[in-house]
Amino acid sequence: MHIPDGYLSPSTCAALYAGAMPFWLIALKKVQQRLKTRFVPLISLVSAFCFVVMMFNIPLPGGTTAHAVGVGIAAIVLGPWASILAISVALFIQAVFFGDGGISSYGANCFNMAIVGSLVAYAVYRLISGQAPLQSPRRVIAASVASYLGINVSALCAAIEFGIQPRFFHDISGIPLYAPYPLSVAIPAMMIGHLSFAGIAELMISGGLVAWLQRTNSSLLKLTAPGLMENDKSPQAPSWIALRWFWIGLAALMIATPIGLLAAGSAWGEWDANDFKKPEMRQEIAATSQNMAPPENPPAGLERLSTLWSAPFPDYAPAFLKNKNLGYMLSAMFGTGLIIFVCLLTSWVLRLGGNHSARQPI
Amino acid sequence: MKKRPTGFIERTIGSLADALEHAAIAETHAETGGLLQSLDPRVKLFGLLALILTAISVKKETVTLAILAVAVGLAFFSRIPLRLLTTRVWLGVFILTGTIAFPAIFMIPGEPLYRLPLLHWTVTEQGVYTALRLVSRAETAATLAILMVLTTPWTHLLKAMRVFHLPVVLVVILGMTHRYLFLLLHTTTNYFEARRCRLVGELDGQARRQLLAASTGVLFERSLQLSEEVFLAMQARGFRGEVFILNEFKINRRDWVALGAFIAAMILAFWADHS
Amino acid sequence: MTQRSVFELSSVNYRYPEATALDGITLTIAGNERIALLGANGSGKSTLLRILAGLALPSGGSITFCEEPLTEERLADETFSRQFRRRVGMVFQNSDVQLFNPTVFDEVAFGPLQLGWTKPEILERVDAQLNALDIFPLKHRSPHRLSGGEKKRVALASVLVLDPDVLLIDEPTAALDPKSQGQIIDFLFGCAGKKTVITATHDLSIIEDIADRCVILENGRGVGDAAPHSILHDWELLQRAHLVHIHRHRHGTSEVHAHPHVHGRHQH
Repeated sequence: MHIPDGYLSPSTCAALYAGAMPFWLIALKKVQQRLKTRFVPLISLVSAFCFVVMMFNIPLPGGTTAHAVGVGIAAIVLGPWASILAISVALFIQAVFFGDGGISSYGANCFNMAIVGSLVAYAVYRLISGQAPLQSPRRVIAASVASYLGINVSALCAAIEFGIQPRFFHDISGIPLYAPYPLSVAIPAMMIGHLSFAGIAELMISGGLVAWLQRTNSSLLKLTAPGLMENDKSPQAPSWIALRWFWIGLAALMIATPIGLLAAGSAWGEWDANDFKKPEMRQEIAATSQNMAPPENPPAGLERLSTLWSAPFPDYAPAFLKNKNLGYMLSAMFGTGLIIFVCLLTSWVLRLGGNHSARQPI
Repeated sequence: MKKRPTGFIERTIGSLADALEHAAIAETHAETGGLLQSLDPRVKLFGLLALILTAISVKKETVTLAILAVAVGLAFFSRIPLRLLTTRVWLGVFILTGTIAFPAIFMIPGEPLYRLPLLHWTVTEQGVYTALRLVSRAETAATLAILMVLTTPWTHLLKAMRVFHLPVVLVVILGMTHRYLFLLLHTTTNYFEARRCRLVGELDGQARRQLLAASTGVLFERSLQLSEEVFLAMQARGFRGEVFILNEFKINRRDWVALGAFIAAMILAFWADHS
Repeated sequence: MTQRSVFELSSVNYRYPEATALDGITLTIAGNERIALLGANGSGKSTLLRILAGLALPSGGSITFCEEPLTEERLADETFSRQFRRRVGMVFQNSDVQLFNPTVFDEVAFGPLQLGWTKPEILERVDAQLNALDIFPLKHRSPHRLSGGEKKRVALASVLVLDPDVLLIDEPTAALDPKSQGQIIDFLFGCAGKKTVITATHDLSIIEDIADRCVILENGRGVGDAAPHSILHDWELLQRAHLVHIHRHRHGTSEVHAHPHVHGRHQH
């Protein structure tokens, strides 16, 4: 999902370069501090490794192949900051030397994949693996889920960057100058490929690597498992049992949301200002409101508010797809993904403040 | 056209070989004499980046295509064959960007041009212009970018980036990554080719995953081991943590003229765009 | 170089968690000696070389360089470290590890840059060194485009540019074609009387040309220390150190038998 040149406006590109810069600077500083003299050769070789991994054709169930970015790998084995650097370096060489990914969009690509991807993957890995022993299968699962989520949140960021282009950058007649698809198209279009193929490829390569390292050289996994050897008072991650029910519950919720469509008419309260003017909708509103007739004109406040946030998913059905249920499910995934991301980021930030064990990963 | 390889091992070997081939081509062309090759790398970097920025900022397709024409002209005078540009840049960008841009011809509202027979989707004039704009912009930027790489040795390109205040340590890291990239590409290719020779028949899903895990793992450990040994080699030659670079760049009058030309082209493009 | 001892090792050990690489090595190396460190793979010769190069610290015992102790603290001191690195050069077995810079020019210039030489000095000395080893045309080449022999010469150049007094060379002829091997051997031959050279190798066919003294290691222990000529006739020692092999071979056109031997025949 390397964004090429010409799809993001110069101001979007500049904004994302600016957004990436603090992370780059912090990563550089932290990694230099931690690795000291080993910094140069280690980051160089890991970047070269990441680059080669990006060229692997990963066999997917069904016979096709896909490429992975490897956001999970570096973050899980070396920590988020080293991962930010290594993947940024690999992306630079890909973009400049090999022409894979734009030059103006390099900041955006790094922001999405190297920065957001690494941070999300690391946070999820730490959350799920908790205090599990280095050899436990829980770590393999943690690595797989972490990479899967990492790449999907990256794709979501890219999709949002694409999707806001037509809104902000168009010529006088409203024709988009850059990426022409609104969020309602960009998000499902990007997410379908990543929730399926690309995500599975990431999952396989990260899970595979962690499983392999567990068998051959598990000490390499120590760096991102601080506090494991010393039984210190680091905050307890939620136990696996509790977490498993959380994920199952979430999955059930996502699948069950189309059932909401089947429920009588429209969800109560989720009408927009125009619905008040249409006769059929007025009947429905009355029916679900214990037969009280709705006002003739939409309430002024509702009218003003409903245009403020023109939901990217009018009626939850993106125009791009014909199947309402699929659209509904994807919207739910998008919504939950966003929620998960925010929760994880918050908990990670909070934990950063508290945990200062000597073996902090980089 | 290359024959399509089957199987993920074949495809991976193909991807790796392609990368090696690309590097060989870049190095060959960077060493021949030509217009861009003879310029100071800093001027070249600044000029080409300025043109890329211009190409993505202008709104008129005609201006973008004019910049593309300039790029093609520069390529010609730098002895870069058009055939190379076609196979290495234009075709790939057209397929990628074209695929992304294609639905736009139906989706952008405007003057209808043509109506598809079975699906009744309408192709609009504005849609076609949008798609064209996207593709031409992407092609122009990609052409300018590859000119940078085809006419400048990688290490010069990196050292030239010091002009943009890229920290020395990153210049060194980018150089070292690039250098070891090829070693790892070779090692990995050998690994996969050895596996391929030993295979009889197709692998099942489980075996494929095992092979993937093993190849990733082996590559990772080799990378770490190499980094340790390189570290020793660096120390043996006096490395104590600080890195230095030495460049032999000298700007002459010709470079200043070229710089002027790049800036003039940029100004001209923006003026044409606004008038 | 004065005739005082260059290196003095006293009961040097080097231990890994699971194994011992060196055990009780006691050795004195004088100035301008050419020594061949002989031993099979795993005998500890690479480890010993690294300790001499100041890249590894012994787990036990002591080592001095020019009659001053070589310790972690001293190596951490910038002035001493600079001096040491200039005077002691190491050529690694795997040239890909030694050639970590993007081009041959950058590689040969690395050492001088680290030691703080001025730009004109560096440019001049690098060119001179490239010419001396006949690799000037490769100046702007990347390492991955070099052949094995070319890489070895660049590796040598990158070390020789500093004009070291001591050369530590790990398996110089391994994986080289005969012509390149010949060039290396010629070079080592020419070092006689000018530099202290310690070469780790298991190739018995070259030791008479590259060394005046052989130190044999077996399983991390010193088991022999004599001139090449005597070593080559001590079959028992050579077998014990796994430096000779036994397999069936021909003598002339008809006789086939097996006994310990060293490969190599030449004509005058």
